Amino acid sequence: MLRSIKLLLRRVWAFVVRDFQLMLSYRLQFFLRVLTILLMVTTLFFISRTFMGRSDCPCAESPFTQWRDPLAAWITGLAVLNYFMTGFSSLANAIRAEQTQGTLESVLLTPINVPTVVVASSAWDFVQATLFSFLYLFFGWLFYDVHFRGSYLLALLFLVLTTLVLACLGILSASFAMVFKRGDPFAVLLGTGSALFSGVFFPTQLLGAGFGTVSRILPPTYGLDGIRRVLIEGQGLAEVQEPLLTLMLFLAVLLPFSLWVFSRAIRRAKREGSLIQY
Amino acid sequence: MEASRAVAVSIEHLSKTYPVPLARFKGFFRRSGKPPVEALRDVSLEVREGEIFGLIGPNGAGKTTLTKIIATLVQPTEGTVTVRGFDSVRDEERVRALIGLATAEERSFYWRLTALQNLLFFARLYGMEESASRRRIAELLNLFEFDEAMGRRRFGELSTGNKQRLAVARALLPKPPVLLLDEPTRSLDPLAAARLRSVISQLARLDPPVSVLLTSHNLSEVEELCDRVAIISQGVIRAVDTPRSLRARHKQTERVSLTLRGVGREAVEASLSSVVSDLEITEQPGAILAAFGREMNDDLLDKALKALAERGAEVLNVESERATLLDVLTAFQQEGEVKV
Repeated sequence: MLRSIKLLLRRVWAFVVRDFQLMLSYRLQFFLRVLTILLMVTTLFFISRTFMGRSDCPCAESPFTQWRDPLAAWITGLAVLNYFMTGFSSLANAIRAEQTQGTLESVLLTPINVPTVVVASSAWDFVQATLFSFLYLFFGWLFYDVHFRGSYLLALLFLVLTTLVLACLGILSASFAMVFKRGDPFAVLLGTGSALFSGVFFPTQLLGAGFGTVSRILPPTYGLDGIRRVLIEGQGLAEVQEPLLTLMLFLAVLLPFSLWVFSRAIRRAKREGSLIQY
Repeated sequence: MEASRAVAVSIEHLSKTYPVPLARFKGFFRRSGKPPVEALRDVSLEVREGEIFGLIGPNGAGKTTLTKIIATLVQPTEGTVTVRGFDSVRDEERVRALIGLATAEERSFYWRLTALQNLLFFARLYGMEESASRRRIAELLNLFEFDEAMGRRRFGELSTGNKQRLAVARALLPKPPVLLLDEPTRSLDPLAAARLRSVISQLARLDPPVSVLLTSHNLSEVEELCDRVAIISQGVIRAVDTPRSLRARHKQTERVSLTLRGVGREAVEASLSSVVSDLEITEQPGAILAAFGREMNDDLLDKALKALAERGAEVLNVESERATLLDVLTAFQQEGEVKV
């Protein structure tokens, strides 16, 4: 058991080192991404000032308690969305990226199984996402006086839980890519849907009954709501049970289902000889 | 090759038919779709320990499918492949730990990483300890005559020959007892190909020896390197034997070339046209070259020499070219086209 874990970690480490080395060969891209985050936070700061700077600003009395400081809500939303989408897309794209590069065959020739490839090749994306998500919050705190309260541990629990739920959807997406190669519906649904319906830029309560239903079936809505309740409103475990339990329910259903679909997709791809095609 | 040597790879009644992807889904929209592709049919063979085993056949014969099934990348429809007793479907990870595969596919490396970084990445995937990986890589770079500077160059900057050698080096990283080489010298210049062949021939002599399954279109390479050869055509193994026996089993013919002096083209033609049937005459400065085919034990050559002597021809040189694996392959292929 211990040996297996050690071996798994060594393989994950191999992918992390590889991706770090590849990133170093594209240094400019990395620095541009950091700059983009800074510019985005700055832009949101000035947009928030258009409301907050006014003497008749209704923000302080807003019924949307998480949005009384819009800048804090936005940067929390972007930081968390960035992380959530990494959970989804890096798993979904892991196999696809190796397929299109032409390296999947050589990777699969080593004694590594496909699920390990998917998880390990996403590891660096999570390292990067952690850094970039942190930068949203850090730049907000450093330059624009955004302060958070509440239990960081509880917020972390929401972050991990939502990322795991989205990772399940990422696994379903990877299964889809393995069989159909292109045209992944999960990416469309989550990629565009989350930003619009999960309350990244505005309160989900504004969506009304119809769109509100869409919002309620998206896991990021609960993740984001939970994290904002903790970090912005300072709520404790007792007050955030509803989004927490909803996320757990999502995970309980999606985890076994996605793993089952994934194993079927691998078997099918091997039977058709299409695992390494793109 | 001693038949008593242990079996490294055993293939029994292996068949592979590629199903049409999403056949039911496609069939719903179209009346007639593509039929499934039968790539292998009832293939059985064994590769013994320390043997260099050749697999030759035309394009689309099933060589790559067979290699990929052994490498666990494709699942067979029927039959089994075992590598040192481990089943390629049930124990795929164990099988992968026992084999190395090198293809001529350059895209199987990370082009923006150096040769060394690439090898280290794959060594880690094999689960090798860091220090052991570095030692092994140094050994392999030495074996393949890579100097330190070359190891630090990005893969994309290496020559085709070096990329190819690196592919074989990578396949050898975990010291696999079985090595699958899919056209390893394709697109190499003659010198680079000869160097790689020399390394391959050394592998079987290593201790412990490496069993090599070599697929190639280069028949002289197969003849030079392989202890035994399988001829595959249209997914069926047509023959398995030593290159020498395969040539011998083939119709025993040779092509004889005579270099002559002291006679003109017309005289050579007059002397030989009644004796041989496929005469070819070429004029060269100061000599005439006459070539014809014959069966190994007939008396055509004696008759031809006698007829030429009567015309006063001086025979400067006699050369014969016996059946090569190409002839054998062509014959089996033609046979396959008729029978299959």
